[in-house]
Amino acid sequence: MPKSYFGNKQTTWVKDDRERDYRVSDRDRRVTFKPNRYGGNKEFNNRDWKNAIREHLQDEDVDMGVSSGSGRYHNKKFNRGKKGRRGSPVPNTKWKLLESPTGWYKVSWQVYGTTITFYVDDLKVAEKLQSLDKQIQLPSGFKIFVRVNAGSPNVDMNSTTKQKMKEVMAKRYNSITKALDLTKFHADPDLQGFFCALFKPIVFITVIEIIAENIPELEALNLFDNKIMMLSVFKKSLKKLPNLKILHMGNNKLRDISQLDSLQGLPIIDLVLDGNPLCDKFKEQTSYISEVRKRFPKCIKLDGIDLPPPICFDITEEHHLPDPQQTFLCNSEGGSIVRQFLEQYFLIYDTNNRQPLLQAYHENAIFSMTMAYPYGCKDKAAAWLHWYHTDNRNLKRVLDTERRVKLLKQGQLAVVSYLQEMPLTKHDIHSFTVDLTLFTPQMLCLTVSGMFRELKSGNKSPPIRYFFRTLVIVPAGSGFCIANEELHITNAFPDQAKEAFKTPVAVEPTPVAPVATVSSPGGPAVSPIVPVPDDATKQEMVRQMSAQSGMNLEWSLKCLEETQWDFQRASLVFQHLQSQGVIPPEAFVK
Amino acid sequence: MDPAKTKIDQACRTAEEFTKLYYETADKRRHLMSRLYLDTGLFAWNGNGITGNENIQKFVIDLPPTDHVITTLDAQPILDSAVSGQLTFMIQVSGSVKYQDKIPKTFQQNFIVTAQGDKWKIVSDCFRLQEPLIRT
Repeated sequence: MPKSYFGNKQTTWVKDDRERDYRVSDRDRRVTFKPNRYGGNKEFNNRDWKNAIREHLQDEDVDMGVSSGSGRYHNKKFNRGKKGRRGSPVPNTKWKLLESPTGWYKVSWQVYGTTITFYVDDLKVAEKLQSLDKQIQLPSGFKIFVRVNAGSPNVDMNSTTKQKMKEVMAKRYNSITKALDLTKFHADPDLQGFFCALFKPIVFITVIEIIAENIPELEALNLFDNKIMMLSVFKKSLKKLPNLKILHMGNNKLRDISQLDSLQGLPIIDLVLDGNPLCDKFKEQTSYISEVRKRFPKCIKLDGIDLPPPICFDITEEHHLPDPQQTFLCNSEGGSIVRQFLEQYFLIYDTNNRQPLLQAYHENAIFSMTMAYPYGCKDKAAAWLHWYHTDNRNLKRVLDTERRVKLLKQGQLAVVSYLQEMPLTKHDIHSFTVDLTLFTPQMLCLTVSGMFRELKSGNKSPPIRYFFRTLVIVPAGSGFCIANEELHITNAFPDQAKEAFKTPVAVEPTPVAPVATVSSPGGPAVSPIVPVPDDATKQEMVRQMSAQSGMNLEWSLKCLEETQWDFQRASLVFQHLQSQGVIPPEAFVK
Repeated sequence: MDPAKTKIDQACRTAEEFTKLYYETADKRRHLMSRLYLDTGLFAWNGNGITGNENIQKFVIDLPPTDHVITTLDAQPILDSAVSGQLTFMIQVSGSVKYQDKIPKTFQQNFIVTAQGDKWKIVSDCFRLQEPLIRT
């Protein structure tokens, strides 16, 4: 049976109205006060009666055996003859009062004329304060009226408050465990001066908004000690917290288990409710568990205790998406070819002269482009993709056959002159994903996605775009060229764009001009730059080639010589010729 | 119509028919998925490679229930020199996909389909969700 930690302790928010009502005093005497008495000298007054109250409370401390405090000041009225002696006020009174273990703290002062309202969160303190009604005498000779009411300060939820909350939440968020700890949120030292108590619906709603906007991946939320009474604010926001699995709400003020209905649908596996009044309503632990399981069938830990695993059906609704991988290579040998090809391609592509790319395209190359805005991007500030509209070959929209043909750029000249027209770019090569899905001697199929910055687009800041382009690459001479290309352009999501250009790009001294070295009848080719190795390296390459291909050293040498000592290329050529069965048997005689 | 144009037109029409069938099968009739691929077909799902039509079907069946909506479609015939005259098209799609009842995600996908006898079969299928990369 869960027991409330705070079961006996009636902690409530109590509004303590301290009224200095001079109407009760002699009306006539009021005129003797100088007008600035309360405005100009407020600080003095506050301190004065605070001392008095503190003194009174400390009296109780003495009763409990605490013998601290030297040089006490006792108001005549409080002097019950215990240790009464006149003295100077305790230094730092103000802060001692705020930090005392009774939970006193100043939330806000609200001054209305001669009335000051302040807030305490302990009933005992409130009762004590009430007992001070008409007990404390001001230096002016009047007595303070003390009224105690239940209530809490109003919250003005403006952008400053929200920003402050955001900062405090960021401080309390652990991105590794995806956990947000909002224990005693209102008492956070950085939130003093703001009244950000989670039991105020507007504060709770704002907290959930901040989570949804900034940390939708949140998995664990700790709401201990926040005096929360209602969870209904969650109801509309459940979809914004799709991953919330661990919810600790101990020591709050939830009165009934039905409060949890508002959370139904969350994938909760670990729940803490201990310390809420609702726990005391259950006579049987089993009915308590059953009520929780009814709402959170996957819950396996309740109040820190492991529950027996639920018996489920063999068909589960639970599916997990496999984790994404940045690179997929259907053939590991293709990796270096792909890397070199892309590095060279985008090195040229990101300059203002894309003409050298002519050599990267087959003479009959085909190119087409589509564009779309990403799903659900409501961000009005996002950069428009106007430029790409004209040539958007979206077959869902372009239905006319002639236009479908026209929008295909055919032939290397048409392709490259179009590429030259396209906006200037800077690609973030570290954001690239690479999928090599076909790798045969005849062709490679390569899909690259990633982000680039669009330069000189007329936008205030260069927009971050996302692209997805598939290339069919064929061998040409000693290099490769693009036969087919499909390019898709869209905007990067804000959370993607945040990651763009994070890794500084090392400046590589790769020459731009001598990209293509060898042409072939199949069309000019872009060739990976492979410096001619020295003799020792050559010997080693020949040995490797021989080991890999099964050919003898002489033929391995021949193969490497004919491919300008490009090992990858040599093995490709070998595979190609081997598959056609044109390599003579003597090549394999060792 | 000149033969090049006819081929482009054929690529577009095949792409329209193919994508309709492909996403219907992926969303509702996954047990037929293997029939869409060559025996040696390859599926790269968000960087996870699966080879062979039977393995692909198994993989797809294990994915959460999906609902695909296509936004853009593009298609072109692959140059004869790359595929030795074998009729082969490249199809590229973008759209959104909903897993179970979660918020739809944006995806892009590219297919290489080739004519095998009187059937179109997928040679390679490359799928990517548009998401921030988790760097390790």
